[in-house]
Amino acid sequence: MGKIKKRGQAGQAKNYITRTQAIKKLQISLPDFRKLCIWKGIYPREPRNRKKVSKSATASTTFYYTKDIQYLLHEPLLQKFREQKVLEKKISRALGRGDVSDAARLERNAAHPEKTGKPRYTLNHVIRERYPTFIDALRDLDDCLSMLFLFANLPSTTAVPAKMIARCERLCLEFQHYLIVSHSLRKSFLSIKGIYYQANIQGEDILWLVPYKFNQRIVGDIDFRIMGTFVEFYMTLLGFVNYRLYTSVGLKYPPKFDQLKDDQGAELGAFSLEGANLATNGETKAITNGEAEHGPDPKVQAQVDKLVQQLRDESNGEKADDESPAGEADGEDKPSDAIDKFEPVAPGGDVLPQPSDSSSDPSQLFSKFTFYLSRETPRQPLEFILRAFGCKRIGWDSVLGEGAFTTDESDPSITHQIVDRPVVRAAMSGEGDGEDNQTAQKLGPNHRYPGRVYVQPQWVWDSVNDEELKSPELYAPGAALPPHLSPFVKPTQGQYDPTIPLEEQQTEGEAIEAELEDANQEGEGSEVENDMDVASEVEDEEEEEGEDGDFGGFSEEEEYEEEESEEAEESATLQRQRELEAEISGKSVPGNNKKVDAKTKAKLEAKKALERKKRQEAEDLERAKGMLSKKKRKLFEQMQYTNNKKSAEDMKLQQKRRRLEKEKKA
Amino acid sequence: MGSKLAEKKRKSRESDSDSDDELANGLFDGVLSQSEDEEDYIPSDDADEDEDVDDSGSEGTEGSEDNEEDDGILSDDIPSDVDEEEEMNKLVKQQGELEITEPGVDPKPKEDVDEEGKNYRIERDANGGLRYVYDEIDPVYDSDDTDAQGPVNTIGNIPLSFYDSYPHIGYDINGKKIMRPATGDALQSLLDSIEVPKGWTGLTDVNTGNPLNLSQEELELVRRVQMGLLPDDLQDPYPDTVEWFTSKEEKMPLSSAPEPKRRFIPSKNEAKQIMKLVRAIREGRILPYKPPEEREREEEEKEEAHFDLWQNEEPQAPNPMHIPAPKLPPPGYDLSYNPPEEYLPTKEEREAWENADPEEREKEYLPQKYNALRKVPAYGSLVKERFERCMDLYLAPRVRKNRLNIDPNSLLPKLPSPSELKPFPTVVQTIFRGHEGRVRSVAIDPTGVALATGGDDGTVRVWELLTGRQVWSVKLSSDEPVNTVRWRPTKDSFILAAAAGEDIFLMVPTHASVTPALDQASREILAAGFGYATNGQQQALPAGKEPPAKWARPGTKLEDEGVLIRITVRATVKVINWHRRGDHFATVSPTGQRSSVAIHTLSKHLTQIPFRKLSGLAQTAAFHPLRPLFFVATQRTIRCYDLQKLELVKVVQPGAKWISSFDIHPGGDNLIVGSYDKRLLWHDLDLSNRPYKTMRFHGEAIRQVRYHKGGLPLFADASDDGTLQIFHGKVPNDQLENPTIVPVKMLKGHKVVSKLGVLDIDWHPREPWCVSAGADGTARLWM
Repeated sequence: MGKIKKRGQAGQAKNYITRTQAIKKLQISLPDFRKLCIWKGIYPREPRNRKKVSKSATASTTFYYTKDIQYLLHEPLLQKFREQKVLEKKISRALGRGDVSDAARLERNAAHPEKTGKPRYTLNHVIRERYPTFIDALRDLDDCLSMLFLFANLPSTTAVPAKMIARCERLCLEFQHYLIVSHSLRKSFLSIKGIYYQANIQGEDILWLVPYKFNQRIVGDIDFRIMGTFVEFYMTLLGFVNYRLYTSVGLKYPPKFDQLKDDQGAELGAFSLEGANLATNGETKAITNGEAEHGPDPKVQAQVDKLVQQLRDESNGEKADDESPAGEADGEDKPSDAIDKFEPVAPGGDVLPQPSDSSSDPSQLFSKFTFYLSRETPRQPLEFILRAFGCKRIGWDSVLGEGAFTTDESDPSITHQIVDRPVVRAAMSGEGDGEDNQTAQKLGPNHRYPGRVYVQPQWVWDSVNDEELKSPELYAPGAALPPHLSPFVKPTQGQYDPTIPLEEQQTEGEAIEAELEDANQEGEGSEVENDMDVASEVEDEEEEEGEDGDFGGFSEEEEYEEEESEEAEESATLQRQRELEAEISGKSVPGNNKKVDAKTKAKLEAKKALERKKRQEAEDLERAKGMLSKKKRKLFEQMQYTNNKKSAEDMKLQQKRRRLEKEKKA
Repeated sequence: MGSKLAEKKRKSRESDSDSDDELANGLFDGVLSQSEDEEDYIPSDDADEDEDVDDSGSEGTEGSEDNEEDDGILSDDIPSDVDEEEEMNKLVKQQGELEITEPGVDPKPKEDVDEEGKNYRIERDANGGLRYVYDEIDPVYDSDDTDAQGPVNTIGNIPLSFYDSYPHIGYDINGKKIMRPATGDALQSLLDSIEVPKGWTGLTDVNTGNPLNLSQEELELVRRVQMGLLPDDLQDPYPDTVEWFTSKEEKMPLSSAPEPKRRFIPSKNEAKQIMKLVRAIREGRILPYKPPEEREREEEEKEEAHFDLWQNEEPQAPNPMHIPAPKLPPPGYDLSYNPPEEYLPTKEEREAWENADPEEREKEYLPQKYNALRKVPAYGSLVKERFERCMDLYLAPRVRKNRLNIDPNSLLPKLPSPSELKPFPTVVQTIFRGHEGRVRSVAIDPTGVALATGGDDGTVRVWELLTGRQVWSVKLSSDEPVNTVRWRPTKDSFILAAAAGEDIFLMVPTHASVTPALDQASREILAAGFGYATNGQQQALPAGKEPPAKWARPGTKLEDEGVLIRITVRATVKVINWHRRGDHFATVSPTGQRSSVAIHTLSKHLTQIPFRKLSGLAQTAAFHPLRPLFFVATQRTIRCYDLQKLELVKVVQPGAKWISSFDIHPGGDNLIVGSYDKRLLWHDLDLSNRPYKTMRFHGEAIRQVRYHKGGLPLFADASDDGTLQIFHGKVPNDQLENPTIVPVKMLKGHKVVSKLGVLDIDWHPREPWCVSAGADGTARLWM
């Protein structure tokens, strides 16, 4: 006979540890434990059986893996925490004695790591532990970026020191610089929460949210100490990630930071990037508008003029496809390290996909343009996104801060101006001229320069997301903008897609129904339809009931057939009735009515057929479900439930759209 | 003028107490002195006095009269008090009077003093009477009379409020009331507050009720105490130190020893200390001083120093227990600042959202549409959302949930369409009525034209299958029911086997389809064994043992009807199953213990009992349709025996509690088992001993299961709930594929009589028809 096993000595009870026990084991305070967990990425676990795990009578809420906590025991940070605690105790004791000078000395010493003072810690090793490879770090960058961008926009308080905010801002701007240089920004989306950006770095998709430049409202009980702990970690992480990214593109990190320019609100312009090996190239790769420095360079001017000419041609109506530089067409014969295109010579071979080396690189979307941002537009996101997609020359109003290519609105090199102000109609409304730019000139106090494209900010985002320049007419100032769609939604089969016309995505039955509704049938048709619906529902219920143990066979079919025949009879008798009535009243049978009848009849018939088919399918489904094991059936039903929920939402959207379209027509 | 007047008044009040006492003294001088004489003075004096009184008394009534007068005054003590009070009030009110009385007061005490004891001298007063004039008391240090002057609190440690209703406060040493100091009326106090005299504090002495005034010195004292200075001005709190030892330079040295050498050579210890510091500096343990700001900046830079953390990265296999935090879902269309209009909430949806509890909302935002980017406001709960995400990251337990991202329809088995499943019986075609009591058994003959039934009434009836006409009937037993009827499965004969009680009858019924030749052939087959049987049996069996069965002719009456052979076994036979060739048939009599299973050979009229011992009660037995195998079902298991090798081949364990029946698929590899515990089990004999599928579609026990033997993939079962269930059970030719089983039809029609429904079924040999025997006394043909 084996030993009697005691409860809580083996198995699950040993694998899990409650939070209180963990704190006791580590001998640190709860806030320190929290910090440690956040940095080391240790999170509670849900045991399979709470009762087996908890050793106490009272229900514990948070369980950790014992192994995780054991792993924390060897953490060097733990020692630092303890030292900090000791120091704090010393200081508080000195203060308690009224010995302020002693406390001050301790505090001062604390800043001296060489004397037994404040433990200085870095999180480098933690980051290396948590992210053994760089890709791992990139994978986890979503939260990091969202958090740091949020903190960069927070007001400084006691909980959020100004220094932290400044550092967050710097790191974020440095990261943005990398995205600009490497052209790795892919998509962006203007949402009500802020602006979403998606970048692709080394094959990893990173999505983050940047709030609009407003003072953030802090509602509810938000513990900034917790957020601060996260931010501390993320700052270190992003610092190292930035270093790696900069060095990977041959830049020096950290980039040169001009405090003066930053104070004047240059933001991105306050940094100047340098090559990693200064000895060889020496020149500073000024991402910021280089043109401003070597101002009236005749070459550049000529290029710009040429571009302007090109653009004018484009705007004149020919949507020329010559977006590719002319040089590329010439350089076909030159040897290059680009991938050659393989064309099948003879039919019958498999087609192997090749990465397209298309001439229209989306990252150079705006490279040929000079933008001017009006006062009312959000400068930071626009500057970032335009630069990330190849734009070199961006000017803006001087109130928007330092670092503009030009602050002169009348600069002739400007090709696009982004405006976001309502059109003020002048009193004089002369001959209606269709040309947008010409009318724009006459519009109120907003003076318009000829030869320039005026667009609303959304044009930039939609162009970027579709990787093509959208038609600026749609986005002209004061125009009703087309809906701004999220580029992150992957269209899936059978789901509602707002970009596709409604007719293409509704099923046959829905189409017929819609048409029937359109035709404004008299109540009969819809009534019948309702009845059918009810019937099918009832049938559903019946079948569900039948599922439990026995099966029902296929006897329903006949009933339906009967039903249908009855209906047909009914309609026939109705028709006869009508004829009789017409005879009595001495009129001919209203032909008009009949025509409509014939039309709708066909539709009704189609609908009926459809319904029959549907019913058949439902029946088949029920039969097949009867053959599933109980476990599988449950799984199936669950899936069915979620699918139905989704499709119900889609139906709602479709209905709304149908109604809206009808309203528009009317 | 007014101020002066007030001052005067105040003065007068100050002197009130004094004057009062003095007045009192003065007014009741006589009384006072007398009382003093009487009470306080020493007895010797007293005696003298008494003597004097006596003397005076003896001298004349005058003295006594005087005494009486005195007494009277004494007795009038209280009224005099009242007078006194009145007088005092008067005094307070009229200063003039006061001033008048004052001069009058002064001489009186002098007179009193003069008159006292030894230190007095006797003078004559104005009336010529004796007058004692006392010496002035010098209040030297030793004198007891320290607190003689000034009214003192004599009331003890009781609250002053006790005297609130009295004009006086306590009593003096003489028992006289100490009058309360007069309080001025409102006007006066107002005046007082306006013109503040020197030392006026506005306080009242708690003990006496007098206004408490402080002198200049006292005020100064209070001030100094308040300031935390020495109360006395005289001392210098910080005198210059006097250097006691070094203030004077001594001329002579203390020692004449010469100065030691160590004063001239550098200290080794100091050099050691210095080297320590030097080393520390060299090693960087001691840093030169820097202003704190500079130091801070440097530290920050150091902190921000970055390097390639992943220089020599090596990918690690992810910890299997680690679950990475799920990413937040990407924003959808409805989060756009300018979404398509169908994403905007309707009015009802908006209201519903607003009225809902924030925790119950499906989405924490409402889609909004702004027609320009400049109109987009800040998102209110952004910080909160981020915070919640942080909380989730570190506080939410992570559980890996496997989500099947597949089309749910792929879970469904591929089923043949209903049209492929056809044909199967759906409706009742013919009802065979005639039996009294239950119909126990049915069987369709191998040609498919005749139906044989056996029932509780002990008759076997043969019917025209399609029409339901009874063509032949025989009563086998009057008391025993016919438990089972089975046709011989070959077409060269028309032989029916039926069991009633312990007897098995073999008969050749008459039927329209039976040609005389067939009839003759059948009779020959039955008769062939007669000679053989007797020989064989007698040889095989020893004399003492009873044979397992007796083969005999049933008697002329039955023989006329067509019943040709009766086999009597030891126990009631419940099941008959023919071998496919028709020469053997097996019978099972569950109560028969050792001889429960018997195999009969028709051609030899021989009965054998193959099992000496069976574990459990035998329920039913059958021959394998193709191979020389024999299946016997006990309550729990089905055993398969090889008839040639005479050994156990396989034990099938359906897992049912009590097997009622089983049937073997004509292909020979599959088996269906019905059980009394409502289960129908399909066994794939090649696959496993355990059932391949378990079907529980019946509410009551299953009595009989049967495959269609004529090539259709059908099987059916009969249950006590009065229904038959028809299944499509296709066994694929490919060994690797699993059989498809589809329930296709539930045939209802039989009534349940005393908890028994359908007792037996049989399939038509070719058509998808089946016949069922019901406890309601009918048999039905379904097609």
